[in-house]
Amino acid sequence: MIVCVAVVGHQNNPLYIQSFTDGDDVLKLHHIVHCSLDVVDERVAVICNYWNVELVLYGCVACSYGYLTNTKVKFILVTTDLDVRDADVRNFFRRFHAAYVDAVSNPFHVPGKKITSKTFAERVSTIVKSFGLSSAG
Amino acid sequence: MTMQVIKSKKRRLARAQKTIGDYCLLAGSPVDANAHYSTALELARLTADYFWYAGALEGSVCAILVDRMGQKDTALEDEVRYRYNSVIVHYRKSFIQDNAQRVSPLTFELEATLKLARFLCRRELAKEVVEWLTNAADGAKSLIDASDRLILFVEIARLFGTLGYQRKAAFFSRQVAQLYLQQENRLAAISAMQVLAMTTKAYRVQSRASISKQSLSNEIESGHVDSSKMHHQSVVSLFESQWSTLQMVVLREILLSAVRAGDPLAAWSAAARLLRSYYPLITPAGQNGLASALTNSAERLPSGTRCADSALPFVRLYSFPLHPSQMDIVKRNPAREDWWAGSAPSGPFIYTPFSKGEPNDNSKQDLIWIVGEPVQVFVELANPCGFDLRVDSIYLSVQSGNFDAFPLSVDLPPNSSQVIMLSGIPTSVGPVVIPGCTVHCFGVITEHLFMDVDNLLLGAAQGLVLSDPFRCCGSQRLRNVSVPNISVVPPLPLLVSHVVGGDGAIVLYEGEIRDVWINLANAGTVPVEQAHISLSGKNQDAVISIAYEKLKSALPLKPGAEVTIPVTLKAWRLGSGDSDAAAGRSASSSMARTVKDGSSPSLLIHYAGPLGDAEDLETSKSSVPPGRRLVVPLQICVLQGLSFVKARLLSMEIPALVGESLSNLANVDGSPLDEAVGYGTKIDKLVKIDPFRGSWGLRFLELELSNPTDVVFEISVSVQLEKSSNADNLSEHAAEYSYPKTRIDRDYFARVLIPLEHFKLPFLDDSIFSKDLQSDGSSGGRNSSLSERNTKAELNASIKNLISRIKVRWQSGRNSSGELNIKDAIQAALQSSVMDVLLPDPLTFGFRLVRNGSENAAKIDLPKESDTSVQPTASKNPVIAHDMTPMEVLVRNNTKETIKMTLSVTCRDVAGENCVEGAKATVLWAGVLSGITLEVPPLEESKHCFSLYFLVPGEYTIVAAAVIDDANDVLRARAKSESPDEPIFCRGPPFHVRVNGTA
Repeated sequence: MIVCVAVVGHQNNPLYIQSFTDGDDVLKLHHIVHCSLDVVDERVAVICNYWNVELVLYGCVACSYGYLTNTKVKFILVTTDLDVRDADVRNFFRRFHAAYVDAVSNPFHVPGKKITSKTFAERVSTIVKSFGLSSAG
Repeated sequence: MTMQVIKSKKRRLARAQKTIGDYCLLAGSPVDANAHYSTALELARLTADYFWYAGALEGSVCAILVDRMGQKDTALEDEVRYRYNSVIVHYRKSFIQDNAQRVSPLTFELEATLKLARFLCRRELAKEVVEWLTNAADGAKSLIDASDRLILFVEIARLFGTLGYQRKAAFFSRQVAQLYLQQENRLAAISAMQVLAMTTKAYRVQSRASISKQSLSNEIESGHVDSSKMHHQSVVSLFESQWSTLQMVVLREILLSAVRAGDPLAAWSAAARLLRSYYPLITPAGQNGLASALTNSAERLPSGTRCADSALPFVRLYSFPLHPSQMDIVKRNPAREDWWAGSAPSGPFIYTPFSKGEPNDNSKQDLIWIVGEPVQVFVELANPCGFDLRVDSIYLSVQSGNFDAFPLSVDLPPNSSQVIMLSGIPTSVGPVVIPGCTVHCFGVITEHLFMDVDNLLLGAAQGLVLSDPFRCCGSQRLRNVSVPNISVVPPLPLLVSHVVGGDGAIVLYEGEIRDVWINLANAGTVPVEQAHISLSGKNQDAVISIAYEKLKSALPLKPGAEVTIPVTLKAWRLGSGDSDAAAGRSASSSMARTVKDGSSPSLLIHYAGPLGDAEDLETSKSSVPPGRRLVVPLQICVLQGLSFVKARLLSMEIPALVGESLSNLANVDGSPLDEAVGYGTKIDKLVKIDPFRGSWGLRFLELELSNPTDVVFEISVSVQLEKSSNADNLSEHAAEYSYPKTRIDRDYFARVLIPLEHFKLPFLDDSIFSKDLQSDGSSGGRNSSLSERNTKAELNASIKNLISRIKVRWQSGRNSSGELNIKDAIQAALQSSVMDVLLPDPLTFGFRLVRNGSENAAKIDLPKESDTSVQPTASKNPVIAHDMTPMEVLVRNNTKETIKMTLSVTCRDVAGENCVEGAKATVLWAGVLSGITLEVPPLEESKHCFSLYFLVPGEYTIVAAAVIDDANDVLRARAKSESPDEPIFCRGPPFHVRVNGTA
């Protein structure tokens, strides 16, 4: 189950963080995303737009996966499933990337600002839900 | 049972062997140790004593490493990794196997994991290390002892830090700090605070004190070199500041731990950072709590404590006011007499590409401050929080040390911004660098750098930071204020001006002339050695004269000395639009507008102190101290005064009486003339009698004036006479005539008469027509267009001359007086009949009674063209009916050439009938009355005697007329004759003769 997705800008500034949990562990998820950036920083030098990060935090078992675009925007996925199929993650990030591109193609979006588009949020939640389904199926 | 015993025996042996191995290792013999460990391993495996097996394995790894100290190869590394893996596995096995053990093998397992991680801790193996560390962190939750957990997290954090994973290290450091905080004692709190302080870098909330001084000063310098380009570091920190949820948590924990640790400065710093950076995310109650935390911390600090982190308010540069016009600094060009030239923009254009091209004329202007003269800098303060902010003192912080700043205290209400003026005095020559302000607020002294706020505002504009503190306080948009290059120069003189009698607007009616005294005092410490006054602005001709010499004579003006310069002002005429508005008699509104319009002129006083040493001057031109410019605005407010309605030329002739004197004026007294002429004794001043014409030729210029104002005006007319034209003694005292005053009440119209008779030329000269003559000589016909134009020009010149001699002055109240500017009106009125006004007739005729010869001789010279100011005694009318009356007609030639003429004299009675000729002639005569041939030399006169015998008493009119023979061009032009063959006929004015009866 995906608990959090995030878009992080090229200066490691959060552009979009959305958690999909009911509890008040938002701060914890922020910490996970923030800590994931360590590995991201390491990988930014080497151009590769897919890697995974595994991180188990105290009190909260979670895996995070990252995806780097050519413009050094990072997508981070935090999941509680410890064994996720690679293809699922790739598929998820491809769709997430498309959604992001559509969102920033909005002429009223200022690059570097937080993404506030509702359409994007809806689309992301659809993708997150379908991720669960596809992995189940 | 035996098996059991044997097993336990072996186990004991194995454990002994392991212990011996430990001692060997301690004794420094890794080879021996290794041998013992090998035995122990063997025995432990056989007895399934996993815990001790793992311990022995660990020992053997140590022995190998100690044995091969200094050499590191992949084989060894693989060996260590392999063995430690085994160690960890066996510790885990022992945990499962023997749950009831007193010592939990978990700690051993975690320790082994950490040891392996530390051994492998390199960037290339980061992934593996992270895995081990993650495992270790996962194991932490099984640890019962909090201090164990603490140690574990410290180690994990340290290893992550070594790997370069700062954020992960920060995360675990925070865990450590939380564990410390759970201990609830002061020492633990201090430790927590210190650990948290280490995390601030990763979370980008570090205290400014922890940033090295070097980078800070670099940043300031780079900011000064190019403020538009932000430092990379500060940009990144702006971006990272968006992790506000995490950052606030960290800062809050630092604050908590610092309070608990009893470190007020750290608490203050954390609260300041929290409040300054995250005020939009904190509720007003929370903001108040932070404010009280700041105050509480400050109470426990010694007064005068400085903190590197600034709290509120936000301070940004608002403007560097340039020098006010009173103390403007002008670059001095020592090579020129007018050293100020070129300093002010010349020409009518605001923008010229030439001046724009200069490299130093960019947006970064230079500012010159003067030693000892106070300067001001405007800064804007903002308090975006929900509490009243009291800034105990704020002053400019100057690094260069040659500036004394004056502190100021400010109260800022919630959510407000305020522009304040900070001032100071430069103390020594050199550049001044102002990076920011020093603020004493919440009991601690902090440095507020302008650059930080600039970066913050830039970030806000790009949406990178939470909020623009100035915008949310209602201040206007971001202004781009660049810090100019400020340099301090040695003291200069300083002139201070004030208008004597108050600096308010000088209220003048149109045309009013008034002297204004301007007091200039040298308030500087250097004497003024050069000074020059010029005018600028609109309506410069309103300043009639400036007593420049007085200023010159006062130089050098020592410090403290003052000089008063009179300036004569003449109010200009209001434009048509102005007068419309002013006609509503709204003096105040028109005054405001006049002042606002900036239509008043200003005095520009360029002055400078001594030039400095001569050799100094030669070596470097830049060492010449600059001069200054003082602008004294003359705030002239012009009110509408008398307004001119129209001008008319009035002319009339009053026949003169024939008497003994040609200028008998007696009977004119009481003639129904205008009021201005009604003063009998003064009429001679108004009216020029032409003795030869014999009549009172009255030509008046009538000016109709209205007074729309609410004060009374008195008009006086004066005429300046040309002294040179009056050769005789008569006009010595009459160089200027003044006429009775005319009073115009408010809202009334009045007419003022200006006599024009004084302007007749003494003789008809061909110079008037000189151009005509030349052209006539060549063509013999009509004037060419060129000569016509020349004639026009000459005429205009003489008209102007005439008009300039008429002065219409007015006076209102005690101290308002001025002059009406009516030249154009007069010119328009005179244009048509200027010839008649200016030029005399070629011939003038006069009659007089002849009594006896001696009198005759005495009077012959009298009738010159002049006005007789000495009134002759009113004589009795000597003409009696039935008596022979000897008379003579005088003909004067007013030209410069001899005129031949045929003269005739006629006499008419009251009915206009010719009473000399015809059947019913009532007048008999002796002598010749018609066809008299006379030749009059130039500018002289001839007389012809005759006698009349009146039969009937009554009024008679005698008229002389002449036909000029061989008239020249001058005469023709004067007579405006059409053709050259036309006879030129000159007719004299009628003369009255009153014939009394004999009874």
